Amino acid sequence: MALPLPPRTPPASAGLLERFAAEGVTGVLRGPHGSFYLLDGAVYCAEAATAPGLDVRLAAAGKVPSHRWQNAVETAGPDHRGGQFLVREGWLTQGELEICHLGALLDAAFFALPLRPETTSFTPGTAHWLGVVRRISAAALQRATARRRALLDRLRPWEAADTSPVVPVPPGRSGPSPTTGRQRRLLARADGRHTPTELARALGQSAFVTLLDIRRLAAAGLIRMPPATALPRRRPGACLDGRPAPGSRPTPTWQLPVPDILSTADPDIALLIRLRTALEENL
Amino acid sequence: MPGIDQVLSRAMGIPGVLGAGLIDWTSGLTLGTAGRAPHGDHEAAAADTAEVVQAVARNATFDTAGGSAPDLEDLIITAAGSYHLIRFVHTAFDSQTYLYLWLDRGQANLAVARLRLRDLAAELVAA
Repeated sequence: MALPLPPRTPPASAGLLERFAAEGVTGVLRGPHGSFYLLDGAVYCAEAATAPGLDVRLAAAGKVPSHRWQNAVETAGPDHRGGQFLVREGWLTQGELEICHLGALLDAAFFALPLRPETTSFTPGTAHWLGVVRRISAAALQRATARRRALLDRLRPWEAADTSPVVPVPPGRSGPSPTTGRQRRLLARADGRHTPTELARALGQSAFVTLLDIRRLAAAGLIRMPPATALPRRRPGACLDGRPAPGSRPTPTWQLPVPDILSTADPDIALLIRLRTALEENL
Repeated sequence: MPGIDQVLSRAMGIPGVLGAGLIDWTSGLTLGTAGRAPHGDHEAAAADTAEVVQAVARNATFDTAGGSAPDLEDLIITAAGSYHLIRFVHTAFDSQTYLYLWLDRGQANLAVARLRLRDLAAELVAA
C-alpha cells in the first residue's frame, strides 16, 4: 500500500485548508490521513497517523515519559493548556515546546495534505487539548509541504523503499560506506521487519526525514530494494496494445536473469540492476 | 525561560545584526523572524538558506566524528557587505532547525556574532 503523500504538482486552485483559513474559522478539519486545528484561520496543531506526534517524540527522547504525558492531558487538557502545563512543571523549556511542536505539526501536515472536500469534515469550535503554542499560516504550511515533496521527488526511482521493511545490505569488501549520524541510527534499528514509518515511530523522529534518508540509503545501495513484483516480461514483437505493430521486424529476445543473480552484495552491480529495472519499468 | 520570539529578539542585540530567523531546514518554513531580511523577504531567505543547509546536512563528508551526536555547528557565508551566519539548534528530541543571522559586514564582528549565536541556540533549549 502506498503512503499518503501530497501530490507531485500542487492543485491549481487553493486547497480546502486555505479556503477554510481564508474564512478565519476556528475548529478542526478532519481528513482521511490527519487533522488540522485552526484558530481564526491559522493552523496551530496538526496530527497524522503516519507522523509521530509530540508525545512520541518527547517520550523517545526521554524528555516526557508517557505517564507524565497522560497526567498533562488529564490536568490541563480540559482547559486546553496542556503545552503550558508541561513547561510549568519543568518537563520542557518554552523553546523546546515550540520547536518540537512545530516539527510535529510540519510532519503531520506533510502526510495529511491535501484535504479533499469529499473526505474532509469540519467541526467548528473544537480546540486541541495542547492549546495554542504557535501558529502557522495555511499558505506557508502548503508551500513548506510542496518544498518537502520536491525534495522527496528527486529520489523517485527509490520510491518502492517507502513501504517495505528496511533490510540493510552487508558492507562489501571495501568496508562500510560513509553515512550521516541519522542514517547510522536508522541502519542500527533496521531489522528487516519494520518499514520506514515504523522505524520513525520507534525512534520518535520525523517520518518525512526518515523517508528521505531511506530513499538515499537505497540509492547508495546500503539497503535492499524490495523485489520488483509482477514486472511484466517482454515478449518479442509485443507492442503497447498487445498486438504486433504492423510491419514490425522481429525484436531480439531477452529475459530477466534468474532471481539468484539479482541478489548481490556488490553495490556497483546492485546499482546497475536497479537502474535496469527502472529503465524496464519505463519501456 | 525564553521561547523562539525572545531568543530572536535577543539576537537583534548582537552588534551589526540586520535580521534573524529560526527556520526548519527540511522545508524552509520560518518558525520565527525578527528585523529585516535580504530583499525584504524573510520567506525567500528561509527557503534559500534551507537549501544550503540541506546540501551540508545530507552529506557524510561533513560528518567525520562518526558518533551518534550531532556533528554540525555553524555555516558561515561571507559576501560583499554582509555575513550570513547559520547555527544548528541541537535538541534532545528530533528536530531540524537552525538560527539564521544576517549581519552588516561593516558593523559586525564575525567571531563575536558566532559565539553569541551559539549561546542563544543553547538558551533556546536549555532549562
